[in-house]
Amino acid sequence: MAAVTLKNVIKRFGVFEIVHGANIDIDDGEFVVFVGPSGCGKSTLLRMIAGLEDISDGEIAIGGKVVNDVEAADRGIAMVFQSYALYPHMTVEQNLSFGLRMTGNPKADTERRVKRASEILRIAELMKRRPRQLSGGQRQRVAIGRAIVREPQVFLFDEPLSNLDAELRVQMRVEISRLHKELGVTMVYVTHDQTEAMTLADRIVVLNAGNIEQIGAPLDLYDDPANRFVAGFVGSPKMNFLAAKMVGADNGAAVVELVNHRGARLRKPLSDALPATGGDVVLGVRPEHFFDAGQGDCDLTLKADVAEHLGSVSYVYANSGTGGGREELIIEREASRHRANGDDLVVSIKADRSLLFDATGARIR
Amino acid sequence: MRYQNATAYRFLAPYLLIFSIFWLWPIIDSFLISFQATRTVPWRFAPTFNWGRLIGDPAFFNALKNTLLILVIQVPVMISLAIVMAVLLNSPLLKARGLFRFAFFAPVVVGEVAYSAVFRLMFNLDYGIINKLLNGIGLPSVDWFTNVTPAMAVIMMAVTWRWAGYNAIILLAGLQSIPEDVYEAATLDRVSKVKQFFYITLPLLKPIIVFCAVLSIIGTMQLFTEPFLITERGGPGGGTETLGLLLYRQGFRSLNFGYASAVAYTMAGLAIAISLVQIWLTREPK
Ligand SMILES: Nc1ncnc2c1ncn2[C@@H]1O[C@H](COP(=O)(O)OP(=O)(O)O)[C@@H](O)[C@H]1O
Ligand SMILES: [Mg+2]
Repeated sequence: MAAVTLKNVIKRFGVFEIVHGANIDIDDGEFVVFVGPSGCGKSTLLRMIAGLEDISDGEIAIGGKVVNDVEAADRGIAMVFQSYALYPHMTVEQNLSFGLRMTGNPKADTERRVKRASEILRIAELMKRRPRQLSGGQRQRVAIGRAIVREPQVFLFDEPLSNLDAELRVQMRVEISRLHKELGVTMVYVTHDQTEAMTLADRIVVLNAGNIEQIGAPLDLYDDPANRFVAGFVGSPKMNFLAAKMVGADNGAAVVELVNHRGARLRKPLSDALPATGGDVVLGVRPEHFFDAGQGDCDLTLKADVAEHLGSVSYVYANSGTGGGREELIIEREASRHRANGDDLVVSIKADRSLLFDATGARIR
Repeated sequence: MRYQNATAYRFLAPYLLIFSIFWLWPIIDSFLISFQATRTVPWRFAPTFNWGRLIGDPAFFNALKNTLLILVIQVPVMISLAIVMAVLLNSPLLKARGLFRFAFFAPVVVGEVAYSAVFRLMFNLDYGIINKLLNGIGLPSVDWFTNVTPAMAVIMMAVTWRWAGYNAIILLAGLQSIPEDVYEAATLDRVSKVKQFFYITLPLLKPIIVFCAVLSIIGTMQLFTEPFLITERGGPGGGTETLGLLLYRQGFRSLNFGYASAVAYTMAGLAIAISLVQIWLTREPK
């Protein structure tokens, strides 16, 4: 088991800088998820920890030891690849034991480790099969099993569930969580799926275009995002962003006008310095933070276009009508069977259930 | 449905006609001819005339021995060389990959006569570059074309030069179909590069290697150009005569088509048999 530390890690491919100075401290035994849109550098970061990519600048330490110049094989890590990367010509058993057999590990110990992994992942009955005779979920288990057999200090996962169907994904997510509890070992997990990140992580690292936007526990990111990117990325459906303008100050509170909602105004107490009057700001409101008319601090009159009924809740896709610009909003409502066909819908928002961002996307608290 | 098929066959008819006349019929006819005595006109049916002769003919066994000798030595050497070339071609460290790929493929498109002439010159006793090089490192000249063993060696080298690159290109395609992350997984499994080659690359490449081997076996069974042109019709004294050459000599020099057909069918039968054994020996375990 080991902590993993990244200090000012930079990655360049030729002249292109892909990762711009990452600083991450991963504690021993922690489950950390790197999340971000496709192409933001998550895999690159993970592969640098694994030693499959060189580090252009900065320092990576595993278990307190700088590993910049340590071979991938000697870093005490195991990796699970998105494509599983099983050895196609070997049986499951051979896949699990291959590394140990090739490095002259004592036979009895190899057998013990393979048996243990097969029990943990419940793949004992698959041992004689070859990868092409397995389903996607079974292949994934074998890939994880191969990592377990190595008894690594750190597990690295690169989008391990993205090739599975939705149901299996949920099931494997739970299994990976269980595995983490059982082994208690450090895990670094890469995904573009914020739901996976929220459900698995002790802490999430949100990446965007090679920059770390925020690091924090899942619910801290949800409640208190550092900027508009994180606010929009974490949570499903996405947070709504309403264009707004600073129109004045009132006792340390900002008064903002929602420009696409016929001059609706919200008074929002802030502890930061107030933005300049007349400046553009953005108000973020999560779909689940719209209330019935009159229940909040500011009412909005909308036209409901489409409703999606999920049984437990309903999502209404509404727009702000023609007053000023037209703004699309997603609103969570109590479950109903009501079909939205351009009905009027009045909802209310609360100052303490909304977030304010400046024009650059930085949070104003 | 019937009608549509009929239309399709009418479109195919010109091809099928030509195929039947120039392909199918010669194949069938040569089989029939192999059972006829064709030394005297008119030809007559004599089932054991040619096949019986074949079994006791020292010239046939000489050609068979030479062909199999070339097969057994040259094919494995060439395939091994082709694998090495393919691995080098596939290396990310290699610059100008396109150029090498072209260079490896080029011998196949060089005219046979030109290539044979160049090989004869290279191995010339007095002026050839090979003997000059041997002298340069203090070895005596070799009289390549008047002794059987060196003459065989020249043929094997020539065939290898001509076809190794071709096989390497086919193997390269196979190498490139092995996903990179399998090697990365093996690297993380602490498996050395050499072991990765023997335990991952070779087994995964096996179907392609078998394919190349079968192609080469078929090609070598029919070997003709090199012994005809480079060692001058199987010289010295029939020492490099192959089955292909024997067939040519019997069929087109002596106009003994019955015997030539029997030789041809023996060549084809052996090529099929050896290839099947090869495929059977390297089949996937179920
Ligand atoms: N070997 C490489 N050479 C050049 N650019 C690369 C290479 N690998 C990745 N990149 C680039 O780096 C960026 C990040 O890639 P990656 O880490 O795979 O993203 P993610 O896993 O977040 O989707 C992408 O823009 C990608 O094009
Ligand atoms: Mg990726």
